[in-house]
Amino acid sequence: MKGKCVAVVVAAIFCVALAGSAAAQEINAYMGTSPDNNAKIAKFIKDKTGITVNQTFQSFGEIEARVKAEAPNFNADMIIGCGSSTGYLAKKNGWAVPYASPAWKGVADVFMDPQGNWYNIGNFSFLLVGNKDRLAKAGRTMPKSWKELLDPKWKGEIVMPSPLSSGTANMMRYSFLALYGDAEGWKFIEALDKNIHHYTRSGNAPTDLVGRGEFILGLTSDENVKKRLDDGYPLIWSVPAEGTGYDGTFALILKGTKKLDAAKKIVDLLGTPEFSALMAEIGYMTPRPAANALYGKTLPKYINLDLGKAADDKAKNNDIWKAKLRTDFK
Amino acid sequence: MATAELSLKVQAGSGSRIKDFLNANLINILAAVLFLLLAFFLLYPIIAVLIKSVRGPAGFTLEYYRAFFAKSYYYRSLVNTLLLGAINTAVCLVIGFCLAYMTTRGPWLLRKPLKIISLVPLIAPPYLFALSLIILFGRNGLVTRMLDLHWELYGFSGVVISQTLAFIPLAYMMLESTLMSLNPNLEESAYDMGASEATILRTITIPLMAPGLLKAGLLIFVMTIAEFGNAAILGGRTPFLAPDTYTMITGESDFNMGSVLSVVLIAPCIVIFFIHNYLLEGKKFTTIGGKPVAAEPRKITPLIKVPFVLITTLAAGAIFICFAVVLAASFYKILGVTDRFVLSNYLDFTSNQAIYNSIRVSLVAAVIGAVIGVLLAYVIVRGKFFGRSFIEMASLSGFALPGTVLGIGYLLAFSAPPLQLTGGIMILALNCVFRFLAVGVEAGISKLHQIHIEIEEASADLGASFLTTFFRIVLPIMFPAFIAGFIYTFMTAIVSLSAVVFLVSPGFQLAAVKIFDAAVYGEIGIASATTIKLVLIVMGCVAILNYITKKTRLGSAMGKPAA
Repeated sequence: MKGKCVAVVVAAIFCVALAGSAAAQEINAYMGTSPDNNAKIAKFIKDKTGITVNQTFQSFGEIEARVKAEAPNFNADMIIGCGSSTGYLAKKNGWAVPYASPAWKGVADVFMDPQGNWYNIGNFSFLLVGNKDRLAKAGRTMPKSWKELLDPKWKGEIVMPSPLSSGTANMMRYSFLALYGDAEGWKFIEALDKNIHHYTRSGNAPTDLVGRGEFILGLTSDENVKKRLDDGYPLIWSVPAEGTGYDGTFALILKGTKKLDAAKKIVDLLGTPEFSALMAEIGYMTPRPAANALYGKTLPKYINLDLGKAADDKAKNNDIWKAKLRTDFK
Repeated sequence: MATAELSLKVQAGSGSRIKDFLNANLINILAAVLFLLLAFFLLYPIIAVLIKSVRGPAGFTLEYYRAFFAKSYYYRSLVNTLLLGAINTAVCLVIGFCLAYMTTRGPWLLRKPLKIISLVPLIAPPYLFALSLIILFGRNGLVTRMLDLHWELYGFSGVVISQTLAFIPLAYMMLESTLMSLNPNLEESAYDMGASEATILRTITIPLMAPGLLKAGLLIFVMTIAEFGNAAILGGRTPFLAPDTYTMITGESDFNMGSVLSVVLIAPCIVIFFIHNYLLEGKKFTTIGGKPVAAEPRKITPLIKVPFVLITTLAAGAIFICFAVVLAASFYKILGVTDRFVLSNYLDFTSNQAIYNSIRVSLVAAVIGAVIGVLLAYVIVRGKFFGRSFIEMASLSGFALPGTVLGIGYLLAFSAPPLQLTGGIMILALNCVFRFLAVGVEAGISKLHQIHIEIEEASADLGASFLTTFFRIVLPIMFPAFIAGFIYTFMTAIVSLSAVVFLVSPGFQLAAVKIFDAAVYGEIGIASATTIKLVLIVMGCVAILNYITKKTRLGSAMGKPAA
């Protein structure tokens, strides 16, 4: 008898566990902004359209890898927040559903593809961050230019993300290559490598590591700096004299989605001034002008970039990066 | 048609002929079905990885392997990984043995607290210790500042320490059950006859435990080299194969090279698996048979007692402190930076969803895994068909398969039609089922070896059908094996990251992945709170399971034959 009872209990557990949660209108999205910001964006979409966005947090690099691996059968209906390279790649390979959204009329070229393959919901940049306490203790000040990072006194005290896994790091790399030109750019990256303690997986990780005081300086995404300052980390940030690069945060609809209408509805929503206001509040430079939380009204100085070229060169540059920086460790 | 027996059955009609056929062949049919399942969900994904590692855009190529062995980077990665595995296994076995010895043979006073401290982290994701270590011993950690240390946490030593702490509980759990099932009478009679504690340890306890030690060692080695959380967080510039594989797949989307890295990871595991099988040949069932008995505490000579107590207190203390740090971190805004008490980490809704998903996946995996495990064990022990030993090897090979391999294998094998499984609960559950199958199978096999086949034969002679015999005789006896498989699969599935991280999809986040993401992202409060919630919930689940098991032990004990 007791054996049977157990069998029944086990069977019941099994059924409950298997039964999925059926819900109203849902959409699956790969989202590459920080977990916090993904949640904010998902909530905004839910509030405005009633659509529940099922999201996984992944870095830009991981989203691109996943999309490449899954093509042409994607496990998500759309991407909200991937790097520009993924957007250009999707356009080139026909992985995106072109949609000319009426809600996006009148935004600048950087922010949307003419055919509507991708939409840019916000530009972000990278910054130099420092730990105030550690700087004060060491009696040093924030470097004024990128070149100053090459000073041997910073050896082992700088962290930055790895371009193999982080889109932010890819942005840093193509920005330095654009700033100094390919030959000088690689020389700079190699020289910088001597002072880098290690490369992190996520583009935001240096903010936290420097905030904790594990390292004095970090090259990091500007995405989370505002939040970390509010959290109370003893951080100081700056844009060195040469300026900084930028990347878009792209949204696109993936081919094969069965929820095209919902996806279009979301794309429309992303083009509204309200959504821009949300993104600007987080710290992005947005398609619709809005006061930026981190930079205020004066945007930082930008390095001249060609995002299309950067996307094309990415694979090649990954190979060079590995060949140059990985042959001899320590 | 000549025998009386047959003609009798012909009279009964054609329905019983089918029944006869079933009675005679059901075990073979069962074996065939199980073989197909194994082939499909275990062998096929591995083969997919192997193929991917040698198939370039232009057909067969060894280019990827050449690249692997030509680069000093990968070579270092391999050496580091094997070294990590070896050190880790050795240290975990020593500490695990000391802990198990103290909780089964040591003074009563120490048994319970040591046991609890050693078992609780089993439910926490292994990389949790990396977080605690950063908070305590990072360059700006609490202890580092207090004592003005100059120890570099980010690197090989940091990974070894966190990984060792993470796998002590597993070592302890396996060795404790081995020690429990050793009959203490042998040791006690030796003691009564005047043997010293050291002699008993050297000549009785450890030799009897050898199979258990080997098994635990193998399992820890395999899990250590595949679990990449600690190495990814604390590795710094020191390369290890598991996180490299992860970056290769998820970051660079280089499936060829990723496959090569995981094949290289399989090789040492397979070698150890065969050594282990070879050494255990003929000794396989020595550890089972004795009923779990708690040994009376003996007087332990200081020569043994002092080092044992020292090692156990150090290990248990380290685990306890790391856990305390996690508990504290879950209540603070940012422990060590702005020490403000908050509850927001616990209210994070996405982590609740992830925990719920994890429990669902683990339960489904545990039920399927335990059922398949018991059936496989039955087929392996009682079946008489061609390929039986192959099935046995295959189902036990889960011990030796690094999680990353089956993760990538599933991604390669089941991400495109016609076998598209990605993007749901089943692929995650099945992955866990076949990775953790070995424990259930092994437990089932040893249970079946305890009962003689005569009992089943008697049942059949008395006219019971195969199914009746199976359900009334075999299943009750194998129930403990079912529970063992169930609990092991459940607990391991819930914290393991190495395979599922490749398979999660939007809308179906798992707790282990969520905690890892939060951890590498720097959301230490959320990572900690999620862990604490997970630990509490899983402890609740296990308590319920234990309660059910206890109830059924009574039930099955009545029908249990005196073996």
